[in-house]
Amino acid sequence: MVLKNLHLTLRNVYTKSVTRLYPEEIMDLPDAFRGQQHLDKEKCVGCGICSQICPNDVIEIVKSGKWYPQFDNGHCMFCGLCVEFCPNGALSMTKHFELASWTREGTIYSPDQLAAPNKAELEGRTGGYKK
Amino acid sequence: MTHKATQITSPTKPSEILLHLGPQHPLQPGPFLLDLKIEGETIKEAELKIGYIHKGMEKVFEDRTYIQILPLADRICYLASNSNNDVYCRGVEELLGIEPTERAKYLRVITNELCRIQSHLLGIGEYTTDVGFLTMFLYMIREREGVVSLLEAITGSRLNHNYARFGGVANDLPPGYKEMALKTLGELKKLVKSHDEMMSSDSIYLSRTKGVGVLTAKQAGELGVAGPPLRASGVEYDLRRMEPYLVYNELDFKVITQTDGDVFSRVKVRLLEILESIYIIEQCLDQIPSGPYKQDVMPYITRPKSGEVYSRIEDPRGEMGMYIISDGSDKPYRFRIRGPAFATAQALPPLLIGSYVADVAAIAASMDSCTSEVDR
Amino acid sequence: MGVIDIIMDSLVFIFAGNPFAPWIRGILGGLVIGGVFGGALVMVYLERKFLGDIQSRIGPNRVGGRFGLLQLIADAIKLFTKEDIIPARADKWLFIGAPIVALTSGFLMVAVLPFDLLVIKGNEYAIAVSRMDISILYLEAVSGLAVFGLFMAGWGSGSKYSMLAGFRNIAKMIGYEVPLGVSIISVAVMAHSLDIVEIVEAQSSIWFIIAQPLGFVIFGIALLADLGRIPFDQTEAEEELIAGWATEYSGMRWGLAFFAEYFHAVVGALIVSLIFLGGWNGLPIIGNLGLPGVIWVLFKTIMVIMIFIWIRGALPRLRIDQVSDLGWKVLLPLALLNLVWATIIGLMWA
Repeated sequence: MVLKNLHLTLRNVYTKSVTRLYPEEIMDLPDAFRGQQHLDKEKCVGCGICSQICPNDVIEIVKSGKWYPQFDNGHCMFCGLCVEFCPNGALSMTKHFELASWTREGTIYSPDQLAAPNKAELEGRTGGYKK
Repeated sequence: MTHKATQITSPTKPSEILLHLGPQHPLQPGPFLLDLKIEGETIKEAELKIGYIHKGMEKVFEDRTYIQILPLADRICYLASNSNNDVYCRGVEELLGIEPTERAKYLRVITNELCRIQSHLLGIGEYTTDVGFLTMFLYMIREREGVVSLLEAITGSRLNHNYARFGGVANDLPPGYKEMALKTLGELKKLVKSHDEMMSSDSIYLSRTKGVGVLTAKQAGELGVAGPPLRASGVEYDLRRMEPYLVYNELDFKVITQTDGDVFSRVKVRLLEILESIYIIEQCLDQIPSGPYKQDVMPYITRPKSGEVYSRIEDPRGEMGMYIISDGSDKPYRFRIRGPAFATAQALPPLLIGSYVADVAAIAASMDSCTSEVDR
Repeated sequence: MGVIDIIMDSLVFIFAGNPFAPWIRGILGGLVIGGVFGGALVMVYLERKFLGDIQSRIGPNRVGGRFGLLQLIADAIKLFTKEDIIPARADKWLFIGAPIVALTSGFLMVAVLPFDLLVIKGNEYAIAVSRMDISILYLEAVSGLAVFGLFMAGWGSGSKYSMLAGFRNIAKMIGYEVPLGVSIISVAVMAHSLDIVEIVEAQSSIWFIIAQPLGFVIFGIALLADLGRIPFDQTEAEEELIAGWATEYSGMRWGLAFFAEYFHAVVGALIVSLIFLGGWNGLPIIGNLGLPGVIWVLFKTIMVIMIFIWIRGALPRLRIDQVSDLGWKVLLPLALLNLVWATIIGLMWA
């Protein structure tokens, strides 16, 4: 009657809980994960294809030495089209996803910030993809 | 007899109350307004008003190129996002006159079925909170985590996958995927069978769900309802069997039906469909051929020839269709979405008349409508 | 033995021998009620943690160390800082009075519950706020007051959802007061007395749960219905009625209403452990094991609370007409049957 329910729920008390204690424990992210983009300044030619293909008009090509893309993280939906259609492969996606900022201006990433070494990898907060 | 949407009248007797299960309510998956006129505990009239989350997607799509629509089409219904993506890609591929590669077809079937599993798990979980069975909701969410991790390993994102491309897919399977998938799905099979047993034998649950909210096959046909609610009324209607797309004509699977058409049958159909989807994925992982997973050249501006196309897919909630008119330029001329949740939501007021207020939640949740898709 | 004699003599002097004794007993009574209050706090904490175990998650674990022991204090502070809103269409005095009435009926019930029985120099002293000859009858009478509290909240809030919840509440509680009363009377018949202390003393050889298993089940179900816990919490069902009778309450007023429910649950668990599980008599054959009776009462109460929480985690919710069906058509005949059984056993036992 209702006894099966009671039995199964009691059995579940002895299984381990599935809560992950974030932010102390970080999850294992797969290699295909779409996080913050990373710009390789050597390969970028400033063609503007990434800006044309973005559905949300997030990318703007600005002059900082040569012409490079600038990202507005507040509107980006991390779909990955810019990375896929870049002809030289200058853009790649990293596993960095903790992108909150205190100001509106802080969400706009200039080309130098995009080219900087990835903060998440520096702090050792990327997980590996477990097979 | 057709069901006309009737305007609800004000209460005439002092024993009648007009109750608004209003736009902000803990029960709902999204905002809609359900007006009920109740007398005691029975419902006399019901009216459903939608439009609180209308985003104007069809108009927005007229201003984006075909490739830019790909990630946005996912978000029509964010819980079953892979099927939205797939039906759009197939429509444009028909306009372009190309076929996806063999390997890409199998990969699309795998992600479609994984998406169906996680959507059904969440749908059943939301339904059990409305019956008061809070523990089952958390068990479903726990099971869903494994499936969503499998999707994340292929596509890179848990919810809005943006996986299909014209003529192929975006990523290939990562190494070691088959073992991980078979292990997770094997555990999921055991757990789903145990939950099925728990729900079928609990007498409180059965007394709340058997005989409640019966939708006959005739009513479902008149209202345009498809998917699990239709199959629970005994009609064997599944687009994967009737008009096979991708590689479904080479796979072996059953179409799950039940005969009663009440709330219990609808939930049972979803549970059993999870097991069928696991079987389909196992076959695909066995049969998948090697080869390219996308076309050689992918232009970033596509100009299909002018014409129109209507493509359909078996969404976890019903039948989803997209009607695209192209006039030769890089943006569509007209984009029309036929959402399955629209039909299941409009089936709600006729079902509610004559039942108790306490059953509203169970019936509404068993139809599993996603308000974002109703309003678009 | 001399030291214990002196301690016992001084205790008797403090509580019965001097002219200020009634005041001292009054303060002690307040402490007992405060103790049950603390028990209710413990129950809220236990519920959050144990329910998390059933549901594969951990409960509070950030405030106050790894086990979240101070979480309740943090919640209480938060509730104190919220704005106190009284809806414009609400009946002000009913709205304000409802949580007070609910909590007060709980306090009144604690007044007769004994925690131990000490025999000093041939006199019996019960550790209770007050010991009456008819304490079971008093308990039954006062438990009916709780219905008033909930209905005042339902009607006085001035919103349709609360009113519907109030109606459901009345229907449910009226239906379950009778089986509750009849099963308590069956226990009193078997113990040949209406005094709770004597009912517990009658269980020194065998617990009443073994002598009247049907009575225990009926009492348990009726108690769950009176407390408004799952599977009987239609009045707080989140889906149709948002939060039922507590919809319009916010801030510490809501905290008081919410707390009154848990207080009732602890009192109900205490009653179960006293009249069915043997109270301070230890285990059935093994006996007292040397521990004082209060520890046994607390231990059994905590076990009963855990069972309440377990039932909450495992079962869905009944519909209101099924609740009424269960109360009137199933439980009432069974309770009367149990009364007949108890009378027969009671006669044979005497």
